[in-house]
Amino acid sequence: MTGTKGTIVKLSLVVVAMYGFSYALVPIYDKFCEITGLNGKTNEVAYIGNDIQKDNRFVTIKFISNVANSAPLDFEPSVTEMTVQVGKPYNTHYVMKNNSSKQLHTTASPSVTPGKHAEYFKKVECFCFEQQTINAGEVKDLGIQFIIDNDLPHASGDIILSYTMFDITDSVKETNRL
Amino acid sequence: MSANIDHLKEEHHQPSGLMRWITTTNHKDIGSLYLWFSLLMFFVGGLMALIIRAELFQPGLQFVVPGFFNQMTTMHALIMIFGAVMPAFVGLANWQLPMMIGAPDMALPRLNNWSFWILPFAFTMLLSTLFFESGGPAAGWTLYPPLSLQGGNSMPFVIFSLHLLGASSILGAINVIATILNMRAPGMTLMKMPIFVWTWLITAFLLIASMPVLAGAITMLLTDRFYGTSFFTAAGGGDPVLFQHIFWFFGHPEVYILILPAFGIVSTIIPAFSRKKLFGYDSMVYATASIALLSFIVWAHHMFTVGMPLAGEIFFMFTTMLIAVPTGVKVFNWVATMWKGSMTFETPMLFALAFIILFTIGGFSGLMLAITPADFQYHDTYFVVAHFHYVLVPGAVFAIIAAVYYWLPKWTGKMYNETLGKVHFWMTTIFVNITFFPMHFVGLAGMPRRIPDYAVQFTDFNMIASVGAFGFGLSQLLFVYILFLTLKQPVTAEDKSWEGAEGLEWTLPSPAPYHSFDTPPKVE
Repeated sequence: MTGTKGTIVKLSLVVVAMYGFSYALVPIYDKFCEITGLNGKTNEVAYIGNDIQKDNRFVTIKFISNVANSAPLDFEPSVTEMTVQVGKPYNTHYVMKNNSSKQLHTTASPSVTPGKHAEYFKKVECFCFEQQTINAGEVKDLGIQFIIDNDLPHASGDIILSYTMFDITDSVKETNRL
Repeated sequence: MSANIDHLKEEHHQPSGLMRWITTTNHKDIGSLYLWFSLLMFFVGGLMALIIRAELFQPGLQFVVPGFFNQMTTMHALIMIFGAVMPAFVGLANWQLPMMIGAPDMALPRLNNWSFWILPFAFTMLLSTLFFESGGPAAGWTLYPPLSLQGGNSMPFVIFSLHLLGASSILGAINVIATILNMRAPGMTLMKMPIFVWTWLITAFLLIASMPVLAGAITMLLTDRFYGTSFFTAAGGGDPVLFQHIFWFFGHPEVYILILPAFGIVSTIIPAFSRKKLFGYDSMVYATASIALLSFIVWAHHMFTVGMPLAGEIFFMFTTMLIAVPTGVKVFNWVATMWKGSMTFETPMLFALAFIILFTIGGFSGLMLAITPADFQYHDTYFVVAHFHYVLVPGAVFAIIAAVYYWLPKWTGKMYNETLGKVHFWMTTIFVNITFFPMHFVGLAGMPRRIPDYAVQFTDFNMIASVGAFGFGLSQLLFVYILFLTLKQPVTAEDKSWEGAEGLEWTLPSPAPYHSFDTPPKVE
């Protein structure tokens, strides 16, 4: 029976390893998306300092917004278009308004199009994935600071930054309840 | 064989009645439990299919509300895959593997009992969700988020029952591998094993490598919904597409889990009724192994339209097409086995022959779907439904039915009624084509899958398909009647029930003794 025992032990290890592998696919996929620019994933933090070279190039950045699942929110960029110099930091903001009569919890996810340019769109300050609490009828400014990296390939067209705002009030309550 | 008969008498201390079946650790008892359970689930899932086909008989909403329709498509798939086809193959493995390799029983009999008895509880829980106020799962068997995360209260129950089913499959697979690797009769080297044993060995490895990945994926769904993680929730930075990657990393090996044992059955039956040895045994083994390996690198062909880099689309297109090579080897080997054989056409052979032809049709439509640019047209249409039903119904299900007819005399010592068997075959084959062939046409014309209502131009073909589906369902009642008639007979079958049958199981008396081989047979 030692042969059988050995087989069982080895196979059980494979089972555990494959379960672990399913979780390992999460960072692998993130890395893959970062390399290929798939889904317009952007870097979370960017370095900003005086030693960054400004470039003499200008690109147009367009800002768009979405509200997921028809949540009772107004969510708009303060300006829809900016022409920015490559290598120089800029500030802008989005405006969110709670149209409901309740306090809401929200969070926003960003996306850059075209995806392959996402890595050059560096956000210094961003409200991405931060949980926002907004009272009934309240209007809130959500600021971003960004910089277009010098490595941006020449002859790139416009870059679009999109934010989708999610109402996560229910899941926040559910998590708190648990 | 007198030693075996003596042993049978010693078994009188075992509990009788219901407790016999609950406490049994015998491979034949557990095999029968699996097969009966599978038959029951086949009818439960079939009933759901008939609700779907009744609703689709004509455009507009006639019988069910769309929400319930979606629950039916979801449950039909889950029941048929995890409840009908997989347990049927495990049942066949339980019955046949020890007899084929000359072992007394499976290597892990108690585990075997446990892996079966998980199933009724898992399916009770799964089916109970249909009686919830918010209904059963309705996001499709693939459980794609965000839709599956937005469903009703059924979701954690579905996930927990899938965990149980996965655990049952993994335990079953460990048992199969432990049995095959450690309990073969002396002289039976790996390359002398019957081909059905080989296909099950490879299937078991697929189960062990892929089922834990499904468990991981659905656990992530669960924590996303209830514990605030964001694997797939876009609001927290997760990506729903990631789920599709993880799911299909499991899902594609899973579809080969549903077909490789069928290859083994057909490779057993075709030589028996052609009265020739299987042509190209070695290449059959290597083809099965290559199909299994390739199944782990083709998953994204299920999601060509999701947005992938061009290099990815091309990679998954070519690897998918590559699978046609080992599959082609198999089909040609079966044809070559029959070549110049003295063939007879008993019911198992008829089902095996229909398998080769109809499965190949399903394989060809699979190749069409593998072509990335064409897939953008076919994706999520009835063409896909036609494709996977051709490989699963006249593929997997026909092989299971063929196996039951083929080994029934060995299991029971009783021969089924050949005339009724042939009637069953012809009805099943005609109706299966009436059901699924028109789906190719409506699919190519653009009818989407998983919808309760459709544009009027699709009506004629849908009516044909619905008529076929009800005919197919009724034909299976004939199958139950044939089984019932067979079991009522006295024991008359010969030890070697088929003239051309080969293998150790035919050296045992019919019905096979409770413990297969107490003293291992010699294999030259």
